[in-house]
Amino acid sequence: MGRLASDIGGTFTDLVYFDDESGTLKVEKSLTTPKDLTQGVEDTIRLAQIDPNTVDFFVHGGTTVINAITERKGAKTALVTTLGFRDVLEIARGNRPDLYNLSFEKPTPFVPRRLRFEVRERIDAKGRELEPLHLADLDAVIERCQAEGVEAVAIQFLHSYAAPEHEAACATYLRDKLPGVAITASHEITREWREYERANTAVLNAYVQPIVQRYFDSLEGSLRGQGLDCPFAAMQSNGGSTSFSWAKAHPITLVESGPSAGVNGAALVGKLCGEEDAIYLDIGGTTAKCSVIEGAQVKVTTDYKLEWTRINPGYPVKVPVVDIVEIGMGGGSIAWFDKVGALKVGPVSAGSDPGPAGYGLGGTEPTVTDAKLLTGVLNPGYFAGGRITLDVAAAERAMQKIADGLKTSVEEAAVAVLRLADADAINALKLVSIQRGHDPRDFVLIVGGGGGAMHAATLGRELGVREIIIPLYPGYFSAWGMLATEPRRDFVQTALGRADNMTTAGLEELFAGLVAEAEEYFHDQDGAEEAKLDFEFGIDLRYFGQEHWVTVGAALDDLSVETILHDFHIAHERAYTFKLDDTPVEFVNFRLMATARVARPTVKPLNGAGRSEAAAAKGTRSVHFGEDGRHEARIFERDLLPAGFEADGPMVIEEQSANTIVHPGQHLRVDELGFLHIS
Amino acid sequence: MADPVTDPVAATDIDPVTLEIVRGKLLAAVDEMGIVIARTSMSPVIYEVLDFACGILDTKAQLIVQTNGVTLFTGTFSFQLQAIQNKFGGDICPGDVYMTNDPFGGGTHTCDVALIRPLFDGDKLRAFAIAVAHWSEVGGSVAGSIAPNATEIYQEGIRFPGIRVCRDDKLLPDVVDLIRENVRLPTMCLGDLNAELAAVRIAEVRLREIEKKYGSGVMDATFEYILETSEQLSREAVAALPDGSYRAVDIIDGDGISDEQIPVCVEVRIDGERMTFDFTGTSAQRPGPINCAYGALHSAVKTVFKSLVDPQGASNEGWFRPVEIICPDGTVFTAKKPAPTGWYYEGSAHASELVWKALAEIAPDRFSAGSYMSLCGAYICGKDPESGEIFVHIEPAVGGWGATSTRDGTAALIATTDGDTYNYSVELFEAKFPLLVRQYALNTDEGAGEGRYRGGFGAVREFDILADDAFTYASFGRSIEPPWGLKGGAKGSCNFMEIESGKETMRVARVPYHALQPGDRVRVVTGGGGGYGDAFTRPPQEVLDDVLNDYITPAIARDQYGVALTPDGSIDDTATQTLRAARG
Repeated sequence: MGRLASDIGGTFTDLVYFDDESGTLKVEKSLTTPKDLTQGVEDTIRLAQIDPNTVDFFVHGGTTVINAITERKGAKTALVTTLGFRDVLEIARGNRPDLYNLSFEKPTPFVPRRLRFEVRERIDAKGRELEPLHLADLDAVIERCQAEGVEAVAIQFLHSYAAPEHEAACATYLRDKLPGVAITASHEITREWREYERANTAVLNAYVQPIVQRYFDSLEGSLRGQGLDCPFAAMQSNGGSTSFSWAKAHPITLVESGPSAGVNGAALVGKLCGEEDAIYLDIGGTTAKCSVIEGAQVKVTTDYKLEWTRINPGYPVKVPVVDIVEIGMGGGSIAWFDKVGALKVGPVSAGSDPGPAGYGLGGTEPTVTDAKLLTGVLNPGYFAGGRITLDVAAAERAMQKIADGLKTSVEEAAVAVLRLADADAINALKLVSIQRGHDPRDFVLIVGGGGGAMHAATLGRELGVREIIIPLYPGYFSAWGMLATEPRRDFVQTALGRADNMTTAGLEELFAGLVAEAEEYFHDQDGAEEAKLDFEFGIDLRYFGQEHWVTVGAALDDLSVETILHDFHIAHERAYTFKLDDTPVEFVNFRLMATARVARPTVKPLNGAGRSEAAAAKGTRSVHFGEDGRHEARIFERDLLPAGFEADGPMVIEEQSANTIVHPGQHLRVDELGFLHIS
Repeated sequence: MADPVTDPVAATDIDPVTLEIVRGKLLAAVDEMGIVIARTSMSPVIYEVLDFACGILDTKAQLIVQTNGVTLFTGTFSFQLQAIQNKFGGDICPGDVYMTNDPFGGGTHTCDVALIRPLFDGDKLRAFAIAVAHWSEVGGSVAGSIAPNATEIYQEGIRFPGIRVCRDDKLLPDVVDLIRENVRLPTMCLGDLNAELAAVRIAEVRLREIEKKYGSGVMDATFEYILETSEQLSREAVAALPDGSYRAVDIIDGDGISDEQIPVCVEVRIDGERMTFDFTGTSAQRPGPINCAYGALHSAVKTVFKSLVDPQGASNEGWFRPVEIICPDGTVFTAKKPAPTGWYYEGSAHASELVWKALAEIAPDRFSAGSYMSLCGAYICGKDPESGEIFVHIEPAVGGWGATSTRDGTAALIATTDGDTYNYSVELFEAKFPLLVRQYALNTDEGAGEGRYRGGFGAVREFDILADDAFTYASFGRSIEPPWGLKGGAKGSCNFMEIESGKETMRVARVPYHALQPGDRVRVVTGGGGGYGDAFTRPPQEVLDDVLNDYITPAIARDQYGVALTPDGSIDDTATQTLRAARG
């Protein structure tokens, strides 16, 4: 039997199949089929010659949700809200992050004013009813929705995080009267406060719900028709999976499923290597993403904002999303000069069409990949497994522009481009590590993505991490991470209270409520009903008067307020350099991360047959190592390196989906699973 | 004491790629300072309103990198550092931190407390870090410290005229005592002091790391590089504008003591690569606290100048080298001691809008028609009936912005003087204060300026008072003279506050202490922005959309836009043509 992961990207649909008996992986790619996404998934299964009857677990991730939002192709959506507040969605937070732009434009709400309806009801901050819900007010709303052809309705009432009864009653009424219309009540997605954020979250969930419902129904129907008879899981943004049926009602939780799978894979790689604290870096074609893993846990937050940039407030989505910092630097990022002649790299990318100049597909702009080619890191005859022959002359022509601008050689220009690209990546890596109070020396760096491996040695050294780990198949790392996923759901409940009013019994009661919710949820999850559940508890605390909080872990058998406060003071000092012993502390949110422990693939040790240093050696090549200068580097084929192999740089390890460099002075070791370790 | 170091390595010896990398690291360092403040502050006005800024300056007090939550601090840092250098010149040591909130020492108002730390590498003075943040309370005649009817700065709380607060990295206990005993919310103030200290401390750590990696000469070389590249861009942008003299006049609606209208004016002269902003002719400083001093005036002008030459480029002193600002002493924009400046942003916002208005016609791609402009800051204070604790709530209000040459104005957006400033979440607000929000809506009743593109709408925020001993005070500008239209667009609407007590409703704009009873209702209403172009040229479909969205009434569609609708709500083409033709 085996496990199948399918990841739909913008260009390619990836498939990874893990055969439980042999412990081997099969990988396949085919073009994504935007008109009927199911087709691309079926294509990869056929191409990989997988017998559907052997699949006992299917997990699916992709860009369906984020694309529907980005391309504004979601359902016609209405909003029902508390009387007096229909404009909250349009007013948003009123902020103007593009400070000096005196013709600033706000993001447009996903529901126009004419489809934002108010009803009489009111709950106060303590969850008390001030005004009952007037269900009769909904009849006019229903009529308008029918007349306007509304396909989805979001409901958001003030303080529903504290008392969801009005929202629930409204949802029941609308579901009854508007059959076929997707209904989302905000508390079903998030129990955190802030009305605009919760309204926007509910609206975006409603907006994509009909699309995801249709797509998942079609995919499941088609694959079951081919004999795939197993639980269907969807990759979520929190690093875990959920059932198709739950995902169809809560599709916004899938918004960042691809990146979250990569971080989840990195956590597993860390565990396999006995490293619980890791920084994950994924460099793709257009962007680099990084994230911190602490205590073998991926870090999940609910501060995610779609389309956010430094100058755009974006759209907040209060669902648990793996905490990722993304920057506009990838293999396709273009090097250019600004108006005063300063060299910049990215964020504009050559993408995959035409791609870097060296692809020979008509690209004329110098990119990071071209710089890697010109410094000798990439092998022109062995790129993408030899499927593309890189055009060194084209890369040189493109890089000449940079050389002219810097009045230097093409090679030095390429080195300059890489230095800048690496500096951008370093700033992002520091943002997730040092700036959040972590010391990189306590961490390993785990890389994924097609470009991660060739930057890893340089970045890891400057960051000062203990070791750099390059897992198997870095080019398929997202799909690999998806295979390793477990069913998971994160619960967050806002419940404000000062520390002096908190008791152990009260905390136990709060968490018991969340645990009961979690147990009920997993009871309905196909394939996870019987699994053992793992709970991680957290509490968000702050000094009274502060807005932002620090999350500290909690143990159910020791919910002593004193211990929690002690941990909080330490955590605050670590993150922000000071603590305030005499200031009252406030409890804000209670978090439960619930994971079902299901069988996961067991990575087998490398099969030694045919592997040896001699077989792997591919001679030498002159490679420019940036600040370390040019060296004659030894070249090895990764797929032929034996476990236990050790050597000192300079060298380059080549494989189909990635190239790994080892600087002079660095040391490489291949472990028994085939992971590369650089120190 | 260490002198500023003249480094042996000249700027030209360091390759441009390294300079660019170090520039990125400096920007990351000020960003980190900002993150530290926003996340550790105790004051909503800091963490929600982001009323703070952080920067790094060179030893000549030139701004090198800055992160801003708001634009009000765009031009104040250099003056503040100069004041400290003049005072402590020979005695600036590693581990020192200085504090100032003096409007007459380059600052803004007493609530904005700046901390300045010299950044040393060993015994070499390399730069200065500065963090400024709006404290919720610094004492004075009212809770919150800025009485709208103050007549002297002495009524606006404790003034720190550039004093040392740390020696050897330790807070001086006497200063802490002084603060604790002179403010109404000492925990909050000292919490904010700590947040700012943490921010300037982190700057020094980061600078040392950079010097360690790239060598001691790299800092000065990068500073020079940053200033020169920005100056070059700035000069090119100014040179591209048509030479000439551009004037604008405006009126400030009252100073808090009287409603008397206060004329202000500017003449902007563009001559090649230079730009002069001459406010000569502006009214003398007023008894009330809408005055600003020279530091705030510089921020106001530089904010609009920056938006003209390069809105997105990172701010530093280099951009402003082509700028000259002229204004005689003692005007509402250059107030002298002891003028009150509590509501200085009312004055400085006008200085910004004057420049903007003067240049709007020559840079239509950068500037919209007039906006609601005033921060419309309203205080509501009182005692929580459950806890018995006093509270001070202050919030700037969002309002309508003007239309541009390509689209409608933006609705419910924070004013020019602020920036990445968040409104208060109603749910947070109600959990924190004994107030109940009755509505938060677009102000379609008062409307926005009609035009080919119409202005954006203001907002209405309505509170029920549940507190004991409650009172409010506020100071709203643009309460008489509405936002201006452009190219034939109509004027926008005005800002005001309404206080409902029993059957009485009073409409106010600049209101000093006003007692509130439980059950009273306070309504903050902001105006809509000005329109752009002739309203009769707005396509009827866009007018119909506005009607369907309840932004405008069918009567406004007919009377202001010349668009007639049929009884079933579609466009009546014939009647529309008649209406539009009739006006000629």
